[in-house]
Order: sequence, then structure tokens, then C-alpha cells
Amino acid sequence: MDITQYFTDYTLRTITLGTAVLGAICGMLGSFAVLRKQSLLGDAISHAALPGIAVAFLITGAKDSNVLLLGALVSGLIGVFWIRGITTKTHLKTDTALGLILSLFFGFGMLLLTYIQKQPNANQAGLDKYLFGQAATLVESDVLLMVTVTGISLLVMLLFWKEFKLLLFDKNYAMTLGFNTKFIDGLISFFIVLAIVIGLQTVGVVLMSAMLLAPAAAARQWTNRLSTMVILAAIFGAFSGVFGTAISASQNNLSTGPVIVLVAAVFVIVSFLFSPERGIIFKQIRLIKNRRDLQLKKTLYFMYDIVRDHDDISRPHAIRILNSFQGFTKKTLSKLEEKNWITIQGQNWSMTADGFETAANLYNNNIPES
Amino acid sequence: MSPMLDIQLIAAVTAAACAIPGVFLVLRKMALISDAISHSILPGIVIGFFITHDLASPWLIIFAAFSGIITVVLVELIQKTGLVKEDTAIGLVFPALFSIGVILIAQNANDVHLDVDAVLLGDLVYAPFDRLMIDGADFGPKGLWTISITLVITLLFLLAFYKELKVSTFDVGLSSALGFSPVILHYGLMSVASVTTVAAFDAVGAILVVAMMIAPAAAAYLLTTDLRKMLVLSVLFGVGSAIGGYWFARWLDASISGSITTVLGILFLLIYLFAPSKGLIAVLFRQNRQRKEVSLLTFLLHLNNHDSENERRVAHLQEHINWRKVRANSVLQLAEKNNMITIDNQIVSLTDKGLEFTEKALDYIITNKDEKIEDMKDDFFLFRG
Repeated sequence: MDITQYFTDYTLRTITLGTAVLGAICGMLGSFAVLRKQSLLGDAISHAALPGIAVAFLITGAKDSNVLLLGALVSGLIGVFWIRGITTKTHLKTDTALGLILSLFFGFGMLLLTYIQKQPNANQAGLDKYLFGQAATLVESDVLLMVTVTGISLLVMLLFWKEFKLLLFDKNYAMTLGFNTKFIDGLISFFIVLAIVIGLQTVGVVLMSAMLLAPAAAARQWTNRLSTMVILAAIFGAFSGVFGTAISASQNNLSTGPVIVLVAAVFVIVSFLFSPERGIIFKQIRLIKNRRDLQLKKTLYFMYDIVRDHDDISRPHAIRILNSFQGFTKKTLSKLEEKNWITIQGQNWSMTADGFETAANLYNNNIPES
Repeated sequence: MSPMLDIQLIAAVTAAACAIPGVFLVLRKMALISDAISHSILPGIVIGFFITHDLASPWLIIFAAFSGIITVVLVELIQKTGLVKEDTAIGLVFPALFSIGVILIAQNANDVHLDVDAVLLGDLVYAPFDRLMIDGADFGPKGLWTISITLVITLLFLLAFYKELKVSTFDVGLSSALGFSPVILHYGLMSVASVTTVAAFDAVGAILVVAMMIAPAAAAYLLTTDLRKMLVLSVLFGVGSAIGGYWFARWLDASISGSITTVLGILFLLIYLFAPSKGLIAVLFRQNRQRKEVSLLTFLLHLNNHDSENERRVAHLQEHINWRKVRANSVLQLAEKNNMITIDNQIVSLTDKGLEFTEKALDYIITNKDEKIEDMKDDFFLFRG
């Protein structure tokens, strides 16, 4: 398909808009989940939402996606509260609680789904789209719902920005300042659940957690500021949605959810590698640079050790007496000369006054580096 | 053997095989690794299938177990870079691998008899019909063999390294000081968990594997802190839920693995609520009692500090300790019931018993010695009435 069709095709436009909005809200709220070290909470909640969908269908007998998502929201919230109950009231740890809720709720949900499938109600087909999501089933009203939820959560986030930030970085301090941390905590959790529930139809239960985590984890690498991170994560999420939809639309047999997740994973990998501050490549380069610098200084200090026994510091010495143990290489020598710390004449080197002073202060941290 | 019995046997053996590594995963706070492994073996299975073109090939298990171990290694690699926390690393790795698996299946949907639903849920119903035939003789269902062998391997691993596992689980420092490499044990355990997940997953699906590993162990952990008892209990819970779940599924005519998970869930819920001393009700009861006792102590100490009648009027006390009326009254009643105080014309005064108790309490608070607290514990039990 060509590009113009991509922009004119109504269905595709709706889906793209939907996945972009979804990516943005997930990235935004996912930032909080990642920073609160609750990355896997999203995974647990998305699985825990499944029985809610099934129960909502059993009660209403209709496949209205808003009603089903309401059911998902309720059971997701029950999951969150149970996780909190397990971790605060018993000695079981968070990971156990998450794994428990995730698998138990999901298993129960599957039980209900298979039970529903055996029912004579012809309406039941298609409930399993919530497992892996089917972006193709997105219609305008779904996108409208997403936009509304995104707007509300954006509003709440701006209103409670200070509180959220404080809670993220220093919960005890927030408590001593008299903020109702329980309420703020609950509010953040509520919106994370909301984001997950909204995404179930598109990405599905199983992959939803990646939607929440990946953009945030990628954004985290580029900045240390919360506001920048949230905005970046939203952008990454939106682009994952758009690219993922485009790629899956361009080929047959490519389900949108997994492709979006993989695109988001690419964002993460690129960020891990190339972010200037924290990225692996630049970190490695800095490491090598530091190592070289250290070698250079080692050579200089060795020279200083020789020179300081003489009255005349610029007396020439043979290059031969240096060896690689002192970090000596041809390169370091020319670099030392470049820095004007030594001069080289033929097979000899001699130290300059500048070099002497630098070497003397090498291990004195109070002197700023030249 | 009838298919009915076969299914129950497979479910029960799977539950036992999962429960054992599950206990260690829960104790080592690595429960979520099982979730990650169970999802990320999917690409391994798919790739294994492309190579062998045989869903029953043992190579599939090896490929899958291998991708399980790759998951663990990847998670640890990402974690080591320090760019993200461990849980984020887990959350990033397995959805990505799972997505690759799903896409691979979808791309080749026409020639792969591999359904994503089956991956998630397994099809225990059909397990009895895939039988191991050697020279025309019927040796029972293949799934039963696979999982039984896994169980035997797990048991051997457990028996051989029980002591090492125990030490390295509870005290990593001590274990490396004693010369048991925690790294080797860690990867050993991860390999066992991987293989078990793969073998079990064949029969019961990815999600149930997680439930079978974590839920019995978590339930057992609420009942005991003895590793041996915990292992036995979790195997019992697992096997019991497997058989109970099978009959529940028959009655409901729904997914067996979903139903086993549900039974596990109900079991865990019951234990979570009613476990003696660690269950929710016991904990809430204890917290409530402690709160009452602290209130009582505060009240008595307050009385002890104030001699003048003016300070000991009931109404005044309520204001002074800043309690609401209901709470103040309940504390007052409690103290009176235990003969700690007498109320005479709205004036509260300590009895001899109350005085003695207060002094003891003060003594403890000042010295903060443990031997005093033993005595106090006995005293505090008095107030339960």
C-alpha cells in the first residue's frame, strides 16, 4: 500500500490514531510505574483484568466494549488491592504477590471464557481478542474513549504533579509534609490500571505490560528530569503505536500488538546503546578515555619521579628508560608533548616547567584539572 | 487406563514437578522469573518446530528450555548495565520475546499447527491421546512421561543439593563462604525451572505453569517457615488442586487448566484469610489487640503521672490524651474490667494492680531489657478478655 492510502484510509487512520494515543498515555503513566519500581505491576494488572471482562459479559450478555472495559477496570483494581494486601499484611514479597495475582486471576478469567464459549449465546465470539488485542477492531468511539481518558489523566497529572513527584522520590518526606500519601498512591495506581484497561482491546492482556514499560524505560535513559521523561515517554509510545500499526498494515498476517511491542523494544535498545549520558556505547567510550587519561598521567608521573632528583628539571633523558609498564606508548609520548608537558628531541625527552607542576599536583585533588 | 485417569495423573505430576522449584523461586524472591520464562519459551518452541517439523520432538523441549535460560541471562545482562531495575528488565525482555514468538506463528499460520491459545492454556484434554508407542506397545500418554521424567530430575536435583540450596537461599554470603558457588546453584535452579516450565507448559500452558509454581509455595509459606514442611505442603496443595480442578472443570465443562488455577486461587485465598498467625484475619486481630494494649498503656502511664483529682476526671482525660469518645470509653472499660483502675464519681484512680503494672511497664520502657518484656507479654495476654 502506498503512503497516500495510509492517510486517506478511514479505518487505518482510526487505528493509527488509537494506537498513537494509547502509546502516549501508556508512556506517560508508565513513567510513574517504572520509577516506582512497579514495572511488573502492569503485567499483573493486565492479566487480572481478564476475569472482569468475562464477568461483565456474563452479567450483561452484550459485547459493548465500554461495559467490558468497566468490568476489566473493576477486576484490575481488585487485583491491585489484593496485591497490596498480600504485601503489607503478610510476609510474602512483592514478586510473589504479583505472580500470584497474575496467574490466578488470568486462570480464572480463562475458565470463565471457556465457560462462556460453551454457552449457546451466539454473541460470545470474539471475546478472546482481549488476549492478544486486535487493533483492527478499533472504531471511532473507542478512540474517543481513549482520548477522553488521556485528557482526564493528563489533567489529574498536572493538578497533582508536585504530589506525584514528591511521592516518587521521597515518600517519607511527603508523609512528614502532611500529604495524604495513601490517597496519592491510590490515585497513581488507579490511573495505571486505567491506562492498562484502555489498551487491552488493542494490545491485549499478555503484551500490555510492555506498552507501559518500554517507552518509559527508553525515555529514562535520555534525561534525569521527571517532566522531560514523561513527555519523552509519551512521544516514544505514540511513535511505537504509529510505526507498529504502519508495519503491521503493510504486511499480511502481522498482528498489530506484538509489532507495536517490538517497535517499542527497538526504542529501548537504541536508547540503551546511544543515550549520551547513560548509554552503553558512550559509557564505554568514557571508560576508555578515562583509562587513556590515567595511562598518560602514569607516564607523566614516572617521568616526574626521574626528573625530581635532578637540579635541572629540563635535563634530557633517554626515551629508552620508559617502558610500557608505566603506561608508555608512542602515542602517549606525543600526546604529552602536545599538552606541552614535555619536549622531545631525537631519542631524548625533557620535562617542561608546566609538566613538572602538573605532575607534582597530580594526586592533589584541590587543584582544578588543566 | 482411562483418559480421565490419565489427565488427572498428568495434572498431579505436573503440579508436583512445578511446586518444588516454585518453593525456591518464592523464597528467593524470583517468582516473576517463572512468569518471564513461561512466556519467552514461545519463540524457542516455534523455532524448534521450524527446524524439526514435529511438535512432539524432544528437540522442542531443548530449544524451549534454552530460550528460557536466554531469558534469565538477558534479564541479568540488562540489570548489570544498571540502566534499569531488575523488575523493569524482566518486564522488557519477556514481552519482546513473546511478541517474536507470536509473530513467527502468525507469519506461518498456514503450515504450523501451533495455536497461541494452546500455548497460553495448554490442552490437557487431548494429552491422553498422544501416546508413547514403542514397537506397537502402548506405554501411556507421552505427556505423562515427559513430566514424570522432569519430576524425577527435579527430585534428584533437590536431594543432591538440598543443603546447598537451603544455605544459598537463606544466606548467600554464608553459602559462598562455605564454598558452594551461589552462581552455579542459581543457574542450576534456573535451568530446572526452565525445563519444568517447558515440560509442564506442554500439558497445561504458560499461565498455569506460573500459578502451579507460585501459588502452592506461597500458600505453604503462610503456614510454615520450615523448608522441609513447606516443600511437602506445596506439593500436597499442588496435587490436591490439580485433582480438585479437574473435577471442577468436568462439572463446569470448561478449561481444565483454568479450573485448576481457580481452585489454586480459592485455596490460596482461604489460607491467606485464615492461616493461623500469618493469615489476614490473624494479623488484623493482632494489630487491633496491639493497638488496644498500647492505648491502655498510654492511659495508665498518664494516670500515673497525674495525682491531682482535677487531672483525673474522665472528661478531662479524654481531652488530654486526645482520644475520641468511643476509643476513650473502650480503653476505660478495658482498664476497669481488668481491675487496673477504679472510677469513683467520675474520678479515675489507679488500683494497686494498675500501679504495679504501670511501674513494670515504665521499668521496661526505661531499661529496654528483653527479660522484662517476657514478663510483660504474659501480662498483656490478660487484656484479651
